[in-house]
Amino acid sequence: MKNEDLALDDLTTIADAIAEGRTTSVAATEACLARIDAWQPRVNAFLRVYREKALEQARAMDAELAAGKRRGPLHGVPMAHKDMYYRKGEVSTGGSRIRGDWVAPVTATVLGKLDAAGVVELGFLNMAEFAAGPTGHNVHHGHCRNPWDQTRVTGGSSSGSGASVAARMVYGALGSDTGGSIRLPAAACGVVGMKATYGRVSRAGAVARSWSLDHVGPLTRTVRDNARMLAVIAGHDPDDSTTSEKPVPDYEALLDGGVAGLRIGLALPKEGLAPLDPQIGAAVQAAADALGRLGARVTPVTLPDFTALYRAAEVMVKCEAAAMHRPWMEKTPELYANQVRTRMEAGFFIPATQYIDALRLRAHFVKEFLSTAMDGVDAVLLPAIPFPLPTIEETDTETKGGPAVLKMVAGFTGLTRPFNTLGIPALSVPCGFDGNGAPIGMQLVGRPFDEVMLYRIGHAYQGATEHHLKVPV
Amino acid sequence: MDEKTKTAAGIAAGLQGMKYDDKRLAELAAEVEILNDAVRKAAAARLTFDDDPASLASVMAKEARS
Repeated sequence: MKNEDLALDDLTTIADAIAEGRTTSVAATEACLARIDAWQPRVNAFLRVYREKALEQARAMDAELAAGKRRGPLHGVPMAHKDMYYRKGEVSTGGSRIRGDWVAPVTATVLGKLDAAGVVELGFLNMAEFAAGPTGHNVHHGHCRNPWDQTRVTGGSSSGSGASVAARMVYGALGSDTGGSIRLPAAACGVVGMKATYGRVSRAGAVARSWSLDHVGPLTRTVRDNARMLAVIAGHDPDDSTTSEKPVPDYEALLDGGVAGLRIGLALPKEGLAPLDPQIGAAVQAAADALGRLGARVTPVTLPDFTALYRAAEVMVKCEAAAMHRPWMEKTPELYANQVRTRMEAGFFIPATQYIDALRLRAHFVKEFLSTAMDGVDAVLLPAIPFPLPTIEETDTETKGGPAVLKMVAGFTGLTRPFNTLGIPALSVPCGFDGNGAPIGMQLVGRPFDEVMLYRIGHAYQGATEHHLKVPV
Repeated sequence: MDEKTKTAAGIAAGLQGMKYDDKRLAELAAEVEILNDAVRKAAAARLTFDDDPASLASVMAKEARS
């Protein structure tokens, strides 16, 4: 086996191989670095590659293992993360020009947890400026490009996370999701992305887009990989008061329950903020059929009108972003991409009463969703992105204005943003390819803290299908 | 300048200390109107005196499956 082929293994396979002495962390790191050499010029997924530091870490991990010490379930596994997770003493750009040379004063809780589990850090990844944008465009650091077709978008804002996992440059990556920013790049790049329940994963030490809606989570090649990574990063954190004290399940141990007898609601919305393209509908219907053949009882469900949830989320994001960005928007507005700055400006004009009401509505929205679309089902299945993946040029709002372009870009989040308002878990899983050869993703949505159910269904689906095994060339 | 744009101009200059041209103020007024209307209608249909923003966390905990 060539060394580079090691990078084609998935996260759990390589982690177990390292643990059992069948390969080394150094070999896995060198394999990823070779993939980065091959793919970075094509997709621009990395903002910084820590070549020597990663190899040094890998050697240390191998030495620890040889001495009988295994830090945790990710010991020696190379990863990289969206450039919004602080590492004390190191630059953290948030995808921006404003923080181009800003040095983080603390380390993000999630990075600390990954360190403790033995992860090797290959560097930090491209992203939308300040996590604002669903496509993967970035005027400061260059657009991230989809490994399946470099003319097409990666989805955003965790663009580098989706692209690097898909191109097998890393075994897993952290993203963040305020309106779909984990699930959109996962869907667009053909990988798995989990937006867990709000409060399941600490946000401490991560650049905020909207404190009320931000979710930290993993992007990986398989559902099993994702389950392992979430188990490491989830849990209560005294530095993030919104985190839950509920115990973290052993997600990986609970994967193999199968779907026989489970009730899955299928939602294929034809109208609303994001009308569904027939190609996407057919792919998600085929996934539902596959789950049906595995024994799940699939029934159609109707989603509630998401307009109010979507608008409430916009109110929260705009008000919170305007508050945190105000000093830079006043002093150095020219350092933002126009579209990033202008999307926040409405936050200065929305009355505080409206913002507070948006927050107060959330509990009502959750109860309504659980008692309607989720009534009598274990999970809801729906598309992630409602249309075939557009090109970078078609969706470049910085150079191309106009209502049609803005509508298309807004349409990316039509089926994802409502679940940030609700705070309930949503998993994106690849379920096919469109007529252009670009990936299609489906979402599985569950009850609060029921990530176990979503992983169980996603894992059963991947056991019966091969979409996740295809690799871009 | 219509009344809504004038209101936006007043908020920008008088309350927020910010400057925008008339065209941008009109765009912002229209954008805010859509958002405010959606939240106001949803709130009128659902909210009562006792609704607390923090109740989201307790609802999530109560409705948790695992």
